[in-house]
Amino acid sequence: MNRERIQELIQKYNSNVVDPSELKEIEKAIESGELDIAELKDLKILEDQLFRMEDPSPSLHLDDRFYQMLRSEIKSSTSGFSWSKFFTWPELLPKLAIAAVALIIGIGVGLMVNRPAQNGEEVAILTKEVSGLKEMMMLSMLEKESATDRLKAVSLTEDMDKVSSKVTNALLQTLNKDPNVNVRLAALEALHPYVNDNHVREELIHSITKQDSPLVQVALAELMAAIQEKSSVNALEKVLQNDKTPKDVKKKIKESIQILT
Amino acid sequence: MEVLSDNALMLKVKDGELDRLGLLFERYKRPLYGFFYNLNRNAELSEDLVQNVFIRILKYRYLFRGEGDFKTWMFHIARNVSHDHFRKNKLNAKDSIDDWQDQLGADENRSTMFQQEEELQLLSMAMDRLPEDKREILLLSKYQEKKYKEIGDILGCTEAAVKVKVFRALQDLKAVYKQLEKHM
Repeated sequence: MNRERIQELIQKYNSNVVDPSELKEIEKAIESGELDIAELKDLKILEDQLFRMEDPSPSLHLDDRFYQMLRSEIKSSTSGFSWSKFFTWPELLPKLAIAAVALIIGIGVGLMVNRPAQNGEEVAILTKEVSGLKEMMMLSMLEKESATDRLKAVSLTEDMDKVSSKVTNALLQTLNKDPNVNVRLAALEALHPYVNDNHVREELIHSITKQDSPLVQVALAELMAAIQEKSSVNALEKVLQNDKTPKDVKKKIKESIQILT
Repeated sequence: MEVLSDNALMLKVKDGELDRLGLLFERYKRPLYGFFYNLNRNAELSEDLVQNVFIRILKYRYLFRGEGDFKTWMFHIARNVSHDHFRKNKLNAKDSIDDWQDQLGADENRSTMFQQEEELQLLSMAMDRLPEDKREILLLSKYQEKKYKEIGDILGCTEAAVKVKVFRALQDLKAVYKQLEKHM
């Protein structure tokens, strides 16, 4: 509707000569926001009067009742446990939610444990995916600057049933190159379950001559003796011949060589 | 002293500071009472309904999220309290516009009591003659200060629909007012 027509309608309304069809037009213009009720003089006066009408005042009795109610509500909210409060919906709702979640988890775990054989494949896939995720996390944590994080990464392998060559290689690399002795020792310990792997055994033997820490040297010598890895003797003897090797370490290495020969 | 907004106060009430409801009561007891009194013209009942509004505010305080306007939320509750009361008591809130003339005799006496404020009394009488839904929309418009969007939230309709409802209610009020004027 154009503005001219709206102005015409306003004038007609204010002069009390508006017909029912024009009243409908006015209504439409109000609905669409093209016309403000305040532009209609009579209605504006009426509305203003209505808004000016003073509110009646409630009696003091209302104040008494309200504050009495508020006091008793504050008292009951600060006093301890009440069954009626326990069962009110806002209090009960979170409790029911927790119970429902616990129930769902319980049913889920129950189903997983008693899973029939035909679902074994799904479980295997899931387990594989979880292992993959753990491996990825472990490898990325080994890159961290903090020695604590790298120790955590190494200890993650303890929870893994089977690990890929990526993990064992990462552990071997940590054993050879990590600047922190504790991390190197942890990596060596983490490699214990995989000593039956030929590649791991060979790399452990190569690692003997790469180590400069007496603690790691001794730990490696003890491991070689424990797994009866006779081909490590040459590497151990090289450490013995090194002038920088401490006396105590040499003694331990000699003991290991004796066991192996 | 810091003056807390309605929403801030209500959020504190929600968090367990129930005594803060006293401040909201002081701010709104009169507009609420006016809203009810103009709807039912019963002082005692109106006080009961104001009390019920604050009982419901306490009971449902956990539902207040502080996203909207407290006043809108409160009038929403007030409207429900009023409707519930009349539904329970099966009272016809007020007479329709068609039978206003039946009670005119009583109103004549009433108007003589308040000659100084004749116009406002006439308006008040005209309001009494409006159907309840029309009286309600005009009172909401008054107490919500013509915030049509908020009134729409209370009534569950659009802002445009509220404008049309207000227009129609004012039209009816004007018609009744003119009729009463002729009889004075």
